[in-house]
Amino acid sequence: MASAGESGDGADGKGVTTITIISSDNEAFEVLEAAASMSLTIRHLIEDGCADGGIPLPNVTAGILAKVLEYCSKHVAAVAASSEAGSSSNAADAAAAPEKEEDLASFDKAFIDVEQDTLYDLLMAANYLEVKGLLDLACQKVADMIKGKTPDAIRQTFKIKNDFSPEQEEKIREENQWAFE
Amino acid sequence: MSREGQRLGCGGAGGIGIGVLSLDMLGQVLDRLREPRDHKACRLVSHALERAEAAHRRALRALRREPLPRLLRAFPALEQLDLSACASLDDASLAAAVAGADLGIRRVCLARASGVGWRGLEALVAACPRLEAVDLSHCVGAGDREAAALAAAAGLRELRLDKCLGVTDMGLAKVAVGCPRLEKLSVKWCREISDIGVDLLAKKCRELRSLDISYLQVGNGSLKSISYLGKLEELAMVACSCIDDEGLELLSKGSNSLQTVDVSRCDHVTSQGLASLIHGHNFLQKLHAADCLHEIGQCFLSKLATLKETLTVLKLDGLEVSVSLLEAIGEGCDNLVEIGLSKCSGVTDEGISSLVARCSHLRTIDLTCCNLITNNALDLIADNCKMVECLRLESCSLINEKGLDWIATCCPNLKEIDLTDCGVNDAALQPLAKCSELLILKLGLCSSISDKGLAFISSNCGKLVELDLYRCNSVTDDGLAALVNGCKKIKLLNLCYCNKITDGGLIHLGSLEELTNLELRCLARITGIGISSIAIGCKSLIELDLKHCYSVDDAGLWALARYALNLRQLTISYCQVTGLGLCHLLSSLRSLQDIKMVHLSWVSIEGFEMALRVTCGRLKKLKMLSGLKTVLSPELLQMLQSCGCRIRWVNKPLVYKD
Repeated sequence: MASAGESGDGADGKGVTTITIISSDNEAFEVLEAAASMSLTIRHLIEDGCADGGIPLPNVTAGILAKVLEYCSKHVAAVAASSEAGSSSNAADAAAAPEKEEDLASFDKAFIDVEQDTLYDLLMAANYLEVKGLLDLACQKVADMIKGKTPDAIRQTFKIKNDFSPEQEEKIREENQWAFE
Repeated sequence: MSREGQRLGCGGAGGIGIGVLSLDMLGQVLDRLREPRDHKACRLVSHALERAEAAHRRALRALRREPLPRLLRAFPALEQLDLSACASLDDASLAAAVAGADLGIRRVCLARASGVGWRGLEALVAACPRLEAVDLSHCVGAGDREAAALAAAAGLRELRLDKCLGVTDMGLAKVAVGCPRLEKLSVKWCREISDIGVDLLAKKCRELRSLDISYLQVGNGSLKSISYLGKLEELAMVACSCIDDEGLELLSKGSNSLQTVDVSRCDHVTSQGLASLIHGHNFLQKLHAADCLHEIGQCFLSKLATLKETLTVLKLDGLEVSVSLLEAIGEGCDNLVEIGLSKCSGVTDEGISSLVARCSHLRTIDLTCCNLITNNALDLIADNCKMVECLRLESCSLINEKGLDWIATCCPNLKEIDLTDCGVNDAALQPLAKCSELLILKLGLCSSISDKGLAFISSNCGKLVELDLYRCNSVTDDGLAALVNGCKKIKLLNLCYCNKITDGGLIHLGSLEELTNLELRCLARITGIGISSIAIGCKSLIELDLKHCYSVDDAGLWALARYALNLRQLTISYCQVTGLGLCHLLSSLRSLQDIKMVHLSWVSIEGFEMALRVTCGRLKKLKMLSGLKTVLSPELLQMLQSCGCRIRWVNKPLVYKD
């Protein structure tokens, strides 16, 4: 999601500086600094003055980086909108706040509804880039896929092989039943 | 910059897919699984997931002492250890379990672990250098030596010594000196403690934020000492009969820090004393003065008004009230979230009107036994308090479906409603069905409630967790069928004296997988067939009451023995079980810790002896006919007691109930 941006002031006087981020396969993405700063990793780099000429991320591929930046941009826009609504005396704005929260929630839900491999990549990227909201979202999604399932069903969902011997499995079952809650 | 934790191997276990996630990230996923069941399922999936689970497990509730040493080492991230359900835990086994270990455990619960004494506690404290919180409540044999052992945990911040009857000023002093960082302390019921102990505590533990001295015989001198605690936010002094208004006056001279005060059942406290207390602590949020005041003076009311901004909870149970009083409360404290008027005489519709007119934030309203109120009061509550979540209306017999209809329409957040003894019928349940958030519904003694009413509830109250149908004897098997259709999350169910219920009804109950507590007293028609369905289907069953179920015999209990493997509490008084059946039951139910078996007329003395011997120290509570005390062998009783079992001897006549 490369967007053409300009450094310097926007019409409303707020900074709309953009930052360039470079994926492992050398694709460049231009995003608002505020959005990029949702990643603590990137924020530290910016603060340390390493942002000139673009920030290289040798561990994140273009596909995943695009998604992460999409998440950050959407969330940073939502934060800006709600703080505007908070400071504005417009009753309509204030009333629209819970609706906007719902919009964000449905965005998140649709956003994380991806294939398993993409999900894991997002999880690892969110961890590496320290984007807390995305990490929470991805971890919760995986957790939700585990909830309420039997071990067999979990194996099927995640295509995991059962590498326990019957004795080992029995031992764990015993422990689960009798040793603790 | 790469921060990948250890990667799990590819191929074989896990492989690609979820196998790319490091142990640390798997741990983050596991952290978001709340149900212990899910964690246990993960342990069985693969080696990798088992390792991740073990590396991340933070809380453990041990059921047996044998695996403890292994478990404590298998779960290195453990922070919370609950040993209150650990059968036959004693000093030796506790010490052996923690010997030589350096555990990161911060919180330990040893409530009712009556086999544990100072030796075990010393070992525990030595092995857990980061110990912050210990709960030793109801270890009635615990005393000063145990307190001294805990005093060695210098970082201790929270300590519960409720009902540790042997603790005196000496033990309290050791704790006060050894644990200067203490923030929360409860010495409820430790009646050997006097003003001297409290004084030293207040001098040494300056960080105290929460203190419970309920039921102690301490006097005003203690309140003077406590007033010097500059950070104290919560103070509970329930039933402290030696405290009076003078003491509250002394307390009010301290720093203005108190947020919660409980003076319930303090006979010598009057509203005057409370007035001076509020004068000194005008940021109070919660005031509990149940069953202590006889009347309310004007100065208290005017002081109450100064708490307008902060007061959210006010409990005045047992007080004689008037309309003007309720009006004054409503005007003075319009931020109230919870009001308790249980057993208050003089509560009328008019009074409620003045109260709720101002207090629109009320979420919990307790009007137990306020039997003058009518549907009008409910209408007023519905009009004004849209956020209401909990309504206690026990014995308010003048209300009916009309009032409840308006409540159900206006208050979508209703989660708990108590209609015990209100005389309501099925028509009342129809509007309540609108409350899709309903969690707790109590209909005890409402004998007009029938299957039709249950069908209403089942149609929409899918979140229902607790249902009390005590003596709702019009309910039949069909009602239960309808119930389990819609309310699949029920955990607590009371069907005592619903004597139309037969095995058919219990078969329906077998589909309630989350059921934990089931009370079936005096259901004369149920037999082993019904019990089997419950035992097989209700996998989460922990507590079962079958008192006076005369048709339940050995065959019935055999099913329990075979299937109800998680059962921890059982009542089979007056059932038709023989010695053999009892023996089989007690040897098979390995999780059973509490059994009530009064009047098992078919069990001989030898039968009791054998049955109790096979429990091998698993039992913690036992209730039997007192006649047996003299005929059971002393070694058996001794063994039971030394394994931490508390025996209650009762004298109940052999009377057959309806």
